[in-house]
Amino acid sequence: MKNIKIRDISSPVEQLAEIKLEELYPLPPPYDKIEEQPGFKNLSPEIRAKYEASLDGVMAVGLKKPESEEEEKKLIDAFISGLNKLFTKENNWTFLQPLTLSMEYCARCQTCNMDCPIYVGSGMKEIYRPTYRSEVLRRLYFKYVKKGSKIYKSFQNGGIELNWELIARLFELSYRCTLCRRCAQSCPIGVDNGLITHELRKMFSMEMGLSPKELHEKGTVQQLEVGSSTGMNALVVKDNMEFIDEDISERTGIKVESKWDVEGAEILLIHNSGEILTWPENPGAFALILDAAGIKWTLSSDLVGYDGVNYGLFYDDVQLARVAMKHLEIAKKLKVKKIVMGECGHESKAMGVIADRIFEGAVPRETAMTLMNDIVFSGKIKLNPERNWFPVTLHDPCNLTRSMGVIEPQRKVLRYIAPKFREMEPHGVRNYCCGGGSGFAVMSAYNFSDWRIQVASRMKFEQVLNAFADESPGPETPKYVCAPCSNCKGAFRDMFDFYGAKTKSGLYYAGLVELIVNAMVDVNEGFIDFDMM
Amino acid sequence: MFWLFIFTYLSVLIFLAVVIYKFIKIATAPVHLRWELYPVPHEKGKASYGGSILEEVDWWTKKREKDHLGELKVMVPEILLLKGVWEHNKELWLGSFPFHFALYLFIGNIALLVIGTLLEITGISPFVFKANSFWNSFWIIFRTVIDVLIWVGSILGILGSFRLLFTRIVNRNLSLYSTPSHYFNIIFIGAIYATALIWRLNDSDMVRNLMVYYFVIITFSKEIAVDLPLQIPAIGFVHIIISLLFIIYLPFTHMTHFFAKYFTYHSVRWEDTPNAPGSKIAERVGAQLNQTVTWAAPHIGADGNKNWIAIASAAPSKEAKR
Repeated sequence: MKNIKIRDISSPVEQLAEIKLEELYPLPPPYDKIEEQPGFKNLSPEIRAKYEASLDGVMAVGLKKPESEEEEKKLIDAFISGLNKLFTKENNWTFLQPLTLSMEYCARCQTCNMDCPIYVGSGMKEIYRPTYRSEVLRRLYFKYVKKGSKIYKSFQNGGIELNWELIARLFELSYRCTLCRRCAQSCPIGVDNGLITHELRKMFSMEMGLSPKELHEKGTVQQLEVGSSTGMNALVVKDNMEFIDEDISERTGIKVESKWDVEGAEILLIHNSGEILTWPENPGAFALILDAAGIKWTLSSDLVGYDGVNYGLFYDDVQLARVAMKHLEIAKKLKVKKIVMGECGHESKAMGVIADRIFEGAVPRETAMTLMNDIVFSGKIKLNPERNWFPVTLHDPCNLTRSMGVIEPQRKVLRYIAPKFREMEPHGVRNYCCGGGSGFAVMSAYNFSDWRIQVASRMKFEQVLNAFADESPGPETPKYVCAPCSNCKGAFRDMFDFYGAKTKSGLYYAGLVELIVNAMVDVNEGFIDFDMM
Repeated sequence: MFWLFIFTYLSVLIFLAVVIYKFIKIATAPVHLRWELYPVPHEKGKASYGGSILEEVDWWTKKREKDHLGELKVMVPEILLLKGVWEHNKELWLGSFPFHFALYLFIGNIALLVIGTLLEITGISPFVFKANSFWNSFWIIFRTVIDVLIWVGSILGILGSFRLLFTRIVNRNLSLYSTPSHYFNIIFIGAIYATALIWRLNDSDMVRNLMVYYFVIITFSKEIAVDLPLQIPAIGFVHIIISLLFIIYLPFTHMTHFFAKYFTYHSVRWEDTPNAPGSKIAERVGAQLNQTVTWAAPHIGADGNKNWIAIASAAPSKEAKR
């Protein structure tokens, strides 16, 4: 459909928008040849007959089409019910004030538009405009929640037709924004489209029971039942950590042993358990640094205690609270002085800031960035920055920077231990999201990962390439993207694999602690081995 | 023209009643989860790069110093110069800035006219002083300032209104999202500017007439009220009536962002107060956790009786697997 308008979201057309490679934001060479890019997988007619893909031909959540008119009506009724509950203090005290402010005071000035990396990356597709889904919800809010004359409300806020097409598309559309909140920074009035998306997702999950499997069944539910969103139970995680300890000890020449359930420890370290499975050097490096610094630390083998992931942050307040309360309960049981959140942006934000007002008598929490900065400059470990003699840039996880204001600690460390460190532009609080934010990094059903990599991660990929523009462009010079966040690393992994960026440009990614260990004088040289990455 | 004065009181009363009601409603909304957005300008020594106290090791043991001047440094250029729009949407700023700045000048005029009346009440009347006296010079300057504000405000306002209307119509980014009220509002406010300018062009005594009008309104002076209407030209009446209608209309629109913005910034964007045990926030949150939840999704496990804390403490309902 061309020239899409707000009301078109209810249109009975088969597909509202189409994404074309040639319309996307252009990438620099050697990634500028459209014919060499894999493009988007088309959904089969069978899938399309069964599931909703009428927004943009992409499926993030796999919403089944209603089989009868009655079922359709039930879903519409449930949607209206959820919409109303979203604006009650009993059900949504958690975000009622900011949500209402964002609903009622937008001037529709579109000042935020160009700050959205998805909108710009998509070549400015109307449906991805940060205000599009907000405006749809706003019109529904004024129509179904706010009291007053219908004519006056329509005059002030515009009209909209609520039907199944709208609900299905709005649901999918709530998973076309990474909640990075870059748009909110530029709003002169203080309206937050990221928050609106967050609230939409919540309404679908908490009232209608609709959310992506990766975040709910395989995410928070599995974490609360088994202990981790990765599916690892306590035995498996201990086994894996034992293997990591052995491997790190062998590679570094320093005996590393993870500590478990140490009561009265100074620090309870909670990793995103994705690190343990996918990037074992990271928890290994943490163990080595903390031991070397002489800190009394521990991991927890209690249910949920060894996984800092909290996908509830992205779609469901109750699930957020359930996971966060488990973390707190464990910290209290172990009587630790503080919790340190590993290299994971959303874990840090969920535990450090968002759940702060759910906790009662909370144990203090701090980020790994802060702790590492403290250790590096404490003189407790000897470092030789020359060991990191390769170009390094820093990716700022949105949750750590825009939502927590943790900007400088990781930079101070990098400026010291990585002589060839350079910033991306823009960076810090104005960074671009990696494209894996808000759960996207673990969502890859159907053809969603094609969209995520080529649209949501597009501006970040360009930014990474530009950061190394002064270096030899080929693979002969390895280039290190320091991404101190598990989900961001997942996004970089997929992005670099998709474009063949390791082979073409020598792009690698890993965390901050790996760079610290690589620079440690007491450690065998070559902890970071680009051939193995 | 008794009805003009009654209408004035009524307009102001409606405006104040609705604005106060809305203000209280927002101010008394439940305390929400933290959702601050950096940079937060009261972070002393860190605001320039968007840092926070969370950068400090053992931050909860550190004394927290808030830089309120830092907040002012952000808010003043934001409100007066629309700095955010300038930085992110220059095309819109070209219309929006003169449009809004003209409003500020008119509001400044209202303040001056009220001050003028208060001075008159205390006996410092603009009509009784001899030439070359201090107060005579004061009133000359005072009236000149008001006059200049009328000229500058109305011309800026008209230009801003035209530009804003043009941008809203021509720029597809804006027209797609504009409802009938957006055009109506610009025309409405534009009419206030236009009638002010026409009045001034046709009435060299406009400032004096305005001062008398405010004096009557504030002092309930019946005697002067009888004479005043005869001196205000027809366009002056039109200007006053349009302005009063706008005052009634304004609180029922999104344009109340003029005060809502305080909350979007101070209660959301910059609200970073930690939940310390025994604090006011902890007390308010505690009360909110006792509220009954009615979300219907199976995994929530709401039964119409369980409160928030009971639900958050429980495992997801077994029906959670959808």
